[in-house]
Parts: sequence; C-alpha cells; structure tokens
Amino acid sequence: MNTPPRECSIGEEGDDDVMMKYSAAALVLAALASPIGPLRAQAPAAESRSVWDGVYTEDQAKRGETIYLKECAACHGAMLTGGESAPPLTGGPFLANWNGLTMGDLFDRIRKTMPQTNPGRLTRQQDADILAFMLSINKFPAGKTELYRQSEMLKEIRFESAKPAPKK
Amino acid sequence: MREKKSKRLKTLVFLFLAGLLCWPPDASAQFHPKDTEWPSYAADLAGTRYRPLDQINASNFSDLEIAWRIKTDNFGDRPEYKLEGTPLMVNGVLYATAGSRRAVIALDPATGELLWIHGEHEGKRGGAAPRQLSGRGLAYWSDGKEERIFYVTPGFRLMCLDAKTGVRIPSFGNNGEVDLKLNDDQDIFPDLITGEIGIQSAPVVAKDTVIIGAAFREGMTPKSMHNNKGYVRGFDVRTGKRLWIFHTIPKKGEFGNDTWEKGSAEYTGNTGVWTQITVDEQLGLVYLPVESPTSDFYGGHRPGNNLFGETLVCVDLKTGERKWHFQLVHHALWDMDISSAPILADITVDGKPVKAVAQPTKQGFLYVFDRVTGKPVWPMPERPVEVGSVPGEWYSPTQPIPSKPPAYSRNGVSIDDLIDFTPALRERAKEIASKYHLGPVFTPPTVSKLEGPLGTLTMGTASGGTNWPGGSYDPETHNVYVFACNSCIEPIGLVPAPKEVSDIAYIAGTAGREVEILHGPGENAGADSPKPPKKSAGGGFNRMDVDGLILVKPPYGTITAINLDKGEFVWQIAHGETPDLVRNHAALKGLNIPRTGQTTYNIGTLVTKTLVIAGEGNVTTTADHPRGAMLRAYDKMTGKEVGAVYMPAPQTGSPMTYMVNGKQYIVVAVSGGPYSGEYIAYTLPSTGE
Repeated sequence: MNTPPRECSIGEEGDDDVMMKYSAAALVLAALASPIGPLRAQAPAAESRSVWDGVYTEDQAKRGETIYLKECAACHGAMLTGGESAPPLTGGPFLANWNGLTMGDLFDRIRKTMPQTNPGRLTRQQDADILAFMLSINKFPAGKTELYRQSEMLKEIRFESAKPAPKK
Repeated sequence: MREKKSKRLKTLVFLFLAGLLCWPPDASAQFHPKDTEWPSYAADLAGTRYRPLDQINASNFSDLEIAWRIKTDNFGDRPEYKLEGTPLMVNGVLYATAGSRRAVIALDPATGELLWIHGEHEGKRGGAAPRQLSGRGLAYWSDGKEERIFYVTPGFRLMCLDAKTGVRIPSFGNNGEVDLKLNDDQDIFPDLITGEIGIQSAPVVAKDTVIIGAAFREGMTPKSMHNNKGYVRGFDVRTGKRLWIFHTIPKKGEFGNDTWEKGSAEYTGNTGVWTQITVDEQLGLVYLPVESPTSDFYGGHRPGNNLFGETLVCVDLKTGERKWHFQLVHHALWDMDISSAPILADITVDGKPVKAVAQPTKQGFLYVFDRVTGKPVWPMPERPVEVGSVPGEWYSPTQPIPSKPPAYSRNGVSIDDLIDFTPALRERAKEIASKYHLGPVFTPPTVSKLEGPLGTLTMGTASGGTNWPGGSYDPETHNVYVFACNSCIEPIGLVPAPKEVSDIAYIAGTAGREVEILHGPGENAGADSPKPPKKSAGGGFNRMDVDGLILVKPPYGTITAINLDKGEFVWQIAHGETPDLVRNHAALKGLNIPRTGQTTYNIGTLVTKTLVIAGEGNVTTTADHPRGAMLRAYDKMTGKEVGAVYMPAPQTGSPMTYMVNGKQYIVVAVSGGPYSGEYIAYTLPSTGE
C-alpha cells in the first residue's frame, strides 16, 4: 500500500548513502504499512526513543529559528500556524498528521519538498535545525544531544503527539 | 538537475496510443452536460457541488470499495503532499490537474487508465510562482463538436488543449497559450519571470468566455505596500482574445477609486480573485469573490474602505462591467478575503421567488443577496465595531452584520469559548487567553507587547470558518451545506517592520521576536555587533493549546445545513472523528466527550440525491480503523451519519461524483503529512463478484 518515497533531491549534495537510505526507508515504511494496530507497539521496547526523550538541544533550536524565519515563515507563518497555502506546523492537525510516524518521515518530507520554490536548497544540517526548532515550539523537551541530520537515524525517533506515561 | 530543467522551456505531451484507440465515439449535437457528469469544478457554474445521483446511498455507503487510484508523484519532478484538485468527468473522460508540474491528465473514469498527459516545463518562471503545485482543477468547453480543456500553469499562462489528445489548440492565443502576465492593464513587476502573480483555482468557462482571476503570496508579512494587482479578465474560448477586464482596485476616474485615500490605489496590490468564480449563464452575470488588499493585517498605507477588497462583485459576462457590489468587510484587517465560490440558489422567501446568491465566508456568516439586484435578502445593517489603536491604522467604525442566517461558526473569542473539560484545564486556558485581547467578530489586531496584549485572539479570520472548498447547495431542499472550522484560532499581533524586511509600518509578529525577524544567518555576527537579547528559542511563542488540547471547546469543525428559504439552520453536526490526542488524553480519562469534529479548514462537501459526503481533514487511529481518515456520509435531511469508508490520508481536495456504465463513482483527492497526493475513486462492489 505504501510505496517508499523516492529520494529525489538528496543526491545533489553528493551523498554517497542514497541507496542505503533508500532501502532503510523501504524497510521502515514496509514495517509501518503492514499490520493494523498501535504502531508504537512494534518499535523495539528497549532502546527506542521518541520526541519526548530530549532529542535536540536548545542551541540547535535557536539556530533553527533563525533559518525558519528566513526560509519558512513567509508561508507557514511566524507563529507556525500556517496559511492559506501552507499547513500549520504546530497544533492539533499537525500533531495528528505525524503522530505514530518518525522524525525521519518528517525530515524526508522537508528534504524532498521544501522550500517550495527550490526544494533541497537547504543542507541537511539546516533542515535538522529547523526540525529542532519545530520540536521546541511544539513543546517537546530539549536534551543534551543535537538532532541527527540523517534520515535513517531519524527514523529511529518516534513522533508521538501525546506525552507517554512515566516509565516504571 | 534543476539547472538542466530550467533551460528546458518546452512542452512535453505524451500521447498514449491506447488512449486514442479506445476514445469514445463522436460527441454529437450541442453540448448539454448531463446530471450524471461533473463538467465543471463545482459540478456546475452555480457552485452547488450537487448531483442528483442515488446509486450510492445510506444503505450501501459503507460497502464502497476502491475502483481505481492514481498517485500524482510522477507528474512533476517531486511528489506533492497537498493535492487539492477536484476532477471533471464529461463525455466519458475524467480530467484532472495533478502533481508538482500541475500536469493535466485524462483518465478512463471507470478504470483510471491514463489516456493522455500534458505538462508545461516553465523553468524559473514556474519555480518563482506564488501559487505552486497542482492547483484545484481545470475547465471544459465544447460546442458540440470540438472539446477543449483550459487550465492555468503555475507560471500564469492560460493553456487551451484538445480534450481528445491533450495537444495544444494552435488557433488559440499564441499556439495554444495566453501569457497572463501580459495585457493586464498593468506592468507586472519586476519582470515576467519572477513577477508575483499566479492562480491556483480552476478557470471558469461560461458560454464562450473563459474567466481568470489572480492570486499572490501569503500577505501576512509582505515586503512592500507596492504589489501587482489581481484584476479579473474574460477571454474568448476560441481565440484567446481578451474580451474584458475588471479592475478590482479601481483606476483613477473609475467608481470606487475614492475609497483609496492618499492615492493608495496607485501602489496597493493583491485584491485578486484567487478562489472559484460563479456564473449565472441565463442572466449573463458573473459573481466575483474578491480577496484582501496588500498587507493582510495592517491597512495604514491604504486609508479608506478599499473597494473592491473583500467585496462580492457582480459583473456582466459579456463586458465585465460592474452591475452591483456589496462590500462584506470595509477596510480589511483580518485576512477574511472572500475565500470560496458564491453559490446560486433559486429560493422562496416569504412566499416570493428570489434568485439568490449565498456567500459562505471565513467569518462564518452566510451572506445572502438577490443576485439580480445585489440587495440583501435579509437586512445586513451596519453595526459599530471596535476601533483599534495601532499607530497609523485607518478603521471603519462599522461593518455590515447579516441578521439572518445566524453565524454558522465561531467568529470571535470570549472566555465562554474556552475549554471546560475540567476546572484545571479551564484555568490554564484562561491563563493563555489572558495574554491576548479578546472580542467578537471584527475585533481589530493590536500591536504586540511583551507585557500584553501579545495580539488579538481571533477566530473566523485567516483560517477560520469556510475556506476555499466552499459549500454545497441542494436545489431540492434549498439547503446550503457547509463545513466550517470552529476552532481555527488565529492570534494576530503586529510588530514594527524593520526597514530591511518591509516598507510597511507593521507586519504580523509577536513581541520579543523582532530580533530574529531582523537578522538572517550571519548578519550582526561580527565582534562589535550588538548582541541580541539572550533567550531560549521560541521566546514569545504561545501555543494555542493546553497539553495538546485546543484552547476552545468542541465542536472543532462542523457541517451545517442552512435552509435558504427561511435563513435558518436545519441541522449542525461535528464533522470528523475526535482527535487521538483528545480521545487518549490522560486529563480527560473517564469523561464522556461526544465526537468533537476536527480542526481543519479545507474540507469540501458533496451533496447527492440523499447524502452529504465529506472526508476528514485529520489523521486518526482508532479501534475501528488503522492510521488514516474516513470519508463520511450523512443523511442530508437530518445530518445523521449513515456510513463511512476508510481513506489512507486526509481529504485535501473536495469529492465529486459521476455515473459511467451504469455505476456511480466518488472521486476524492487525499494527501498530507507523509502521504503524497492521490486521487481515489470509490464505487460499489459489482454483484456476483
């Protein structure tokens, strides 16, 4: 049902891991697409992380804010509330659209399609910084390590809109 | 890769031999669309989204299965995640715009087989377009023999194609195209490649005229008070010759020019018609829903009422001359636009027949007029509204308020609107709201101050109520059916615009964040540069929710049936499954919360002989269905849900329906989040399978 998205613009920066990324994406998506039921149950319990586990730093989010205001705010709004031609990047519908997926899915979406007038123009680091800023605005906690800038690594971080119950 | 493409300004037309071979035989006699077809964007030129079909009904809706589907990924150099099109189905062929190229595709409506595709490679002109992606659709024209398809490319060229082959009609314009950046009674600046103007809505063809409006970038933080203007033009369907133009910002000497004080009509731009246009072919009248002038939230550089900003204008189909107009919002300050197609309805009010036009809006008012005279069907008295205090702003002391029907969605924020699931949640909602200025509809924006208010908390503005999908109208019951966002909160604060950012005095923003707006990466980074105040990222941001819960009470999104004979609601329901965050929220455990509907502003409705049909705009995962969204059907008389069918992603383009080979189909565009655009056709299982 879900076909893996094509990595169309990433190769431009001379990445040598396009094929690897492609197959990683395929595996993860295949896993996501196959069964029915709560997706988070499928993630390995031991080492899996979610956006609630401090997956970016405050400094990174600050960098991301500067880039966001320059590159994204004209359409998505300075407050991330979206506009007539761009969806909101905060609030209910945004959280609902990505709930149960991974940061890698969100990262890939930005890599492939944004900024709209020239997709793929930003570096992976810049895109990761923007993602960190989006996480901070959506009140996911900051941590001690920066958000990865590789899709296949980001796919290990689950996007969960609701705060999980405290671990026993 | 991109470089190569931009050099390739040429047309690619693929003709699929198979498509040609199975082409349906002759289109005989004069063209009369059947009610089993869907010949224009909103089913008809009256904007009704109505077809009297009944094979799919309450008894079988939930049995629907996918007849065919088509991903739009390959109709462009990258996938798109915001597929907003509504296809046409006429004379046995389904036509749609698709993909980031805004290609035109022709499909077999029973099987989805691709018959032909047409794409325009526009290079930099396409890349610089203010309205990209596949747009909302296209228009069909036939004289009974010839069949033509019209669409506008992202780069703002009107294309005329042979509907049988997808090949340009050479006798139309310049080899099948008209450059819409030319012959527009203005010089589009700075140049034809990057000059900001475009359109994403579908063209309208009425009699032998194709009508095109104009759209621009989002106007929250524009770079200048100067911009191109969004005039509306009519073109001859055969030759592409410009027949008429309507100046949405009147030129010197034209009616309404004096509503732009201090010469502001000269430089103010936007004020286009970016949404769907409606036509009464019999009366020969065109209804133009005009958007806001330049700078959505600050109008200090355009003192006056600003005709025809946010005005419903009726013009003559043959000449484009204004017949009547009604300004819904004087001196626009809320980005209300007029965002959707006016709806034509022949109704009976107090025993008298009225040819009416009903206009759904973001502000949740359904404005109803006599469409011949422009007189309100029910009084719309000018009522005093709050006059704000933003320096340099010009305020209209009154706004027209419809006395009937009542507002069908929230268009202001009061303490009463805040959530009351629990006392604790309510307190936190009040605390957030206390940082803002609250008020009813037409409460003006404020300058954002750290000590408060951060801005005006509004609803029914930029993204509220009814946006571009508009409503539906049922000529049997005389009901308008319309989706509305009832929870699209829009904080509108203004900050002084740094000169490097804009020549406008105030742009949208929040106190405490000006520094970031001011400086791009690398600026002011030198040793002796002033240090920006130290604060955490997102300082000044206030999420409009409490632990993920929207600040205001449900219902979050509604569908309302409004009877136009009486100007009263017939029913109103929450549309859409309760969001996962609400259903699974720890603070709401044990509470019995009825279906809340969903926060979204782009849901279009379809009305048939018995049903109102609309998909959901949010993704949910429930016990009944995996991650996805539902296409829902309601009894059009009562609003009771009678069936639902699963979609893999939210509805992003409004559903349409048609019959072919004795079977009814419903086609809907879905996309969003990680799911790239796809048209899905549903039909009933064939018996015996």
